Amino acid sequence: MDSLYIAWKYLNFSKARTATLVACVTLIAVLPLALQLLLAESERQLLSRAASTPLLLGAPGSALDLVMNGLYFDDEVPELISMAAVDALADSGLASPIPLYVRFKARRFPIVGTTLDYFDFRGLTVTAGRPLALLGDCVVGAEVAERLGLKAGDSLLSSPETVFDLAGVYPLNMKVAGVLARAHTPDDLAVFVDIKTAWVVEGLVHGHQDLSRVEDAGVIIEQSSDNVIANAKLVEYTEINPGNIESFHFHGTPGDYPLSAVITVPNDAKSATILRGRHLDGASDYQLVVPETVIDGLLANIFRIKHMLDAVILVVAVATVLALVLVFALSIRLRQREIQTVFRIGGSRLTIARLLAAEIAIIALISGVLCAVALLLVHHYSDELVRSLVIR
Amino acid sequence: MLPHRNNTLTQPLALWITAVCLLLMSMSVPAEDKPVVYTVNYPLQYFAERIAGDLVEVVLPVPAGIDPAFWQPDSEAVSAFQQADLILLNGAGYAKWLSRVSLPRRKLINTSAAFRDRYLQVDEGVTHSHGREGDHSHTGVAFTTWLDFKLAAEQARAIAAALSKIRPASKNVFERNLALLEQELLALDSQLREMVATKPAISLLASHPVYQYFKRRYDLNITSVMWEPDVVPGAVQWSELKQLLKLLPSNWMVWEGRPGPESVARLESMGVGSLVFDPCGNRPVEGDFLGVMQQNLQNLKRAY
Repeated sequence: MDSLYIAWKYLNFSKARTATLVACVTLIAVLPLALQLLLAESERQLLSRAASTPLLLGAPGSALDLVMNGLYFDDEVPELISMAAVDALADSGLASPIPLYVRFKARRFPIVGTTLDYFDFRGLTVTAGRPLALLGDCVVGAEVAERLGLKAGDSLLSSPETVFDLAGVYPLNMKVAGVLARAHTPDDLAVFVDIKTAWVVEGLVHGHQDLSRVEDAGVIIEQSSDNVIANAKLVEYTEINPGNIESFHFHGTPGDYPLSAVITVPNDAKSATILRGRHLDGASDYQLVVPETVIDGLLANIFRIKHMLDAVILVVAVATVLALVLVFALSIRLRQREIQTVFRIGGSRLTIARLLAAEIAIIALISGVLCAVALLLVHHYSDELVRSLVIR
Repeated sequence: MLPHRNNTLTQPLALWITAVCLLLMSMSVPAEDKPVVYTVNYPLQYFAERIAGDLVEVVLPVPAGIDPAFWQPDSEAVSAFQQADLILLNGAGYAKWLSRVSLPRRKLINTSAAFRDRYLQVDEGVTHSHGREGDHSHTGVAFTTWLDFKLAAEQARAIAAALSKIRPASKNVFERNLALLEQELLALDSQLREMVATKPAISLLASHPVYQYFKRRYDLNITSVMWEPDVVPGAVQWSELKQLLKLLPSNWMVWEGRPGPESVARLESMGVGSLVFDPCGNRPVEGDFLGVMQQNLQNLKRAY
């Protein structure tokens, strides 16, 4: 007990040295453990989401981009496909297609254009307000609602794709119809709209004043019995309300409208195999991927990097331990006078050893506590850390 | 060990208790919920009701007096659609409001999907207004598919197939009812074809462009104008009609609803009679779909 007291007093006296030693030991212990925690969480998040998504259809190209955008709403938008892909899947009778259009953002959160089937598929429920019903509605994830302070009945403005796109589409003021229950998945960080509303955000579906009744003649460039051409003075509606909803209309064929991916839910294993066969390399205009396989590949790469990091950390740890041994050895040499004093007042070699061991124990204890606190914090925030550092 | 006298008492008592428990359990088990099917127009509602009988609740939420093709539901009505087990669509671009609402794709049944390659394109693109449904135009695909009774029978078959999927146990009932309905629709089809065959050259005017499939199936010589039964045509419309009559002499105008007396009288003065062929998009005030179609047939006989 006396040894611990004296060791504590000594460590307290040499604050800078003690702090440096504690920091070294803590960091060398925390780094690999925290990395392990984050990797385990990223593996859990990536795999659980991927495993619950049987197949994903998209344009040929990077399967990883397709999966990261379709499942985790990553910023990287894959090559686009069209609604015709959804119709073809539905007509095949082999699967239920759920279209996704993840391209736009509202106040930094991804706007996910989809159909109501997505909510059933992911088991998402609305805790406040109501589900999507009318064009222009959105339902927000729990985290979006919390961070932006949104509730049912509020408005949320879509963000322009680029700040400098002066000739671009007007942002759409969406009505927050409801807030989703927390799902602890990327859905918490998304703004969901009907696929048609996503096309309104893009400007493919739009509403404007009836051209046959405009009061400002300067709006009309050319008018015939069956065609009216207006110029840019014609103001398009930036908000959809009961008064103007009927003016919103499609241009062209809905089958040509863009999508980023289609979640494909096959009827059974046989249907899945048939569908995968139809979308083998070169056999189709699309690629049909198994997200779990793609994520497995990604994780294999991550773990390869992790093994490298582990090796680096091991080398650093050995170097640090050697440095610590050196620090202790040097400190013993520097403290020769103190040790001589202990001898002179009757202390044995064992007493000296006990004092040094007590110092090491106290440093290890403080480092252990700090390490535990740091790991608890990492564990607590691992969900968000993974989403911000690994997934998005 | 209990004496024999006690056993004779406890055994019937146990049987009674078991029987009462079973009875209570059977009472507490809810009867199988009736599936709810929403439709976008009256013909589909009628077909579904005829096929499903009492086994399914069939709902058409469009208020009376409004053309379901141009209705715009509010969020409550959309929510009711979302809760349905099945949503029967007419297809062919019918009910433009479908593109402005969110409905679960897996519940949607396009009853005309089987003949989408036989859809008709229309180019009568002038926006006009009548009734409570506001402005609308008839550009795109013609949608009154059910006025071709053979196509109507195909739509009925699609409905029966969809109902069988949500209620497989009743498939036989649905098929039996479908056979009866088909028989009646095809009988109407034959009657119309026979009637038109008697005077194939007759030229008809239609007050509204809603008879495209009717015209194609029955080989009618029919030309549409853009009039409304409840609106007295203006001077320009009368003038256009005079020009049209010079090109296509006709003795009859087919109206989608009962025309105003003023319009009827003025048409008669021009030698054009009026008859009603109601497309029956919404629930009729009296009778049912087949009753209205039979009446339409009787009305059309005046021209043939």
